[in-house]
Amino acid sequence: MAHEFNMDLTPQEEWSWLVAIDLFLGGLGGGLFLLYQIFGLSSAVALLSLGLVVLGGLVLLSELGHPLRAWRALLKPFSSWISRGVIFVALFLIFGALYVAPALEYFSWLPWGDDPTAKKTIGAIAGAAALLVTLYPGFVLAASPSIPFWNSPLLPVLFFSHSLMGASGVVFLLAPFALNGAALPAIRVVGEVLIATNFALIAIYLLTLRGSGLAAREAVRRLSEGALGWTFQVGVVLVGMILPLAVVIWLPSAAAFAGICILIGALLFRYCVLKAGVYVPFAMT
Amino acid sequence: MAPDKQTIVRTNGKAPRWGMAIDLKRCVGCQSCTLACKVENGTPPGIFWMRVLEKEEGTYPVARKVFLPVRCNHCSEPPCVPVCPTGASYKRKKDNLVLINQDKCIGCRACVVACPYQVRFISEDAKGYYGDELTPYEAVSYQKWQPRTVQKCTFCVDRLETGLEPACVQTCPTRALVFGNLNDPESEIASLVRGRAHFQPRAELGTDPSLYYLT
Repeated sequence: MAHEFNMDLTPQEEWSWLVAIDLFLGGLGGGLFLLYQIFGLSSAVALLSLGLVVLGGLVLLSELGHPLRAWRALLKPFSSWISRGVIFVALFLIFGALYVAPALEYFSWLPWGDDPTAKKTIGAIAGAAALLVTLYPGFVLAASPSIPFWNSPLLPVLFFSHSLMGASGVVFLLAPFALNGAALPAIRVVGEVLIATNFALIAIYLLTLRGSGLAAREAVRRLSEGALGWTFQVGVVLVGMILPLAVVIWLPSAAAFAGICILIGALLFRYCVLKAGVYVPFAMT
Repeated sequence: MAPDKQTIVRTNGKAPRWGMAIDLKRCVGCQSCTLACKVENGTPPGIFWMRVLEKEEGTYPVARKVFLPVRCNHCSEPPCVPVCPTGASYKRKKDNLVLINQDKCIGCRACVVACPYQVRFISEDAKGYYGDELTPYEAVSYQKWQPRTVQKCTFCVDRLETGLEPACVQTCPTRALVFGNLNDPESEIASLVRGRAHFQPRAELGTDPSLYYLT
């Protein structure tokens, strides 16, 4: 059986929708918890953030070849970013739950609910873990030398800022139900800043990589042409950033619609980044 | 093939580093290595731990086909190992082979993505070549790997441990494949690498592959 030389810059095909959904849900959960802590949102928001991360984890388990062995992924934190990510997620779920539990009626007896130092410590660990949950997917991808489009220190930053932006989308969506009114204008401003920041970061990322090697240039080309190009330009840029920014600025009463747009864009962003992962071609030199 | 005392002395006590020199001037693209690997390792349909790529060079009437046998490079700095979250992918200290403990593999595909050579594979099931039922040969040979875990060339580690060369090397009719210990300066492979023009695939990535293509 003859195989052609791998000269035509092939993209990776191992990670697709399921991984994109996991990264999307995990990022949303981590980002939402950060917004919950920063703006003192209702406990329901914190519970939702924990639920999103659990859901993301379940999606990832379904993607694994052997989900019952998943506990083994805790074993290599000194070398593997996936292993570190599993630990960050576990820490986030444990300390996030401990932090929010005393605010719930059923667990109001928990002793650290009345101990500001203990609550602050637990909150700090949960917040740090949430931050790391938003960052680690970028490091997982950036650690791959075979795919130059991912192999950039800017990618974790991009994942972090996209996670926060996605979380602001959830807040816009939930605003009528789960927000105290005072926080909404501030979050709206943060949302606007996050969308603008993401727009700038993506532009910088693509411009930087367009000027680098063959495989990275091909990845950028794929994001500007064909089906993936449409998904990226219409889904991520237009629907996910430009449209919600316009709505939040000029039609704040329709912020929930902006929230839906941001979430669509945030999911498609993960998908596009994964699908644009083009391998370094084989060269006979 | 297993290193004897003399070899250990010649390598200053260093563990052997098994590698392969592939003479591109000798390879005729017959694919017998591909088949020998299939027969030896019982890989499922569509999965080739070793294969020979081919392409045409030049234009008529001065055109020719060139061939490139590819497989796991058993890199000195394998990018597939550090990304593995379970330690299932590892570099064996006693001979520097890059191997997979399939009992530990969770099938996350991180190593498949990280490998710049695209020579790691996952078989979703254990279907045979001839319908739903496995042939007696497949029933035995499929015990060498598990579905939904990563598999790849092992340099025929089972054969190495009994003193035999990898099946692809033994079967190559043109002797295009030379297997040996790169850490032994008196080995045939070391002398070929010293004496012939060669390249290591994608060496610029810092993986230091144990495959040397002789040109």
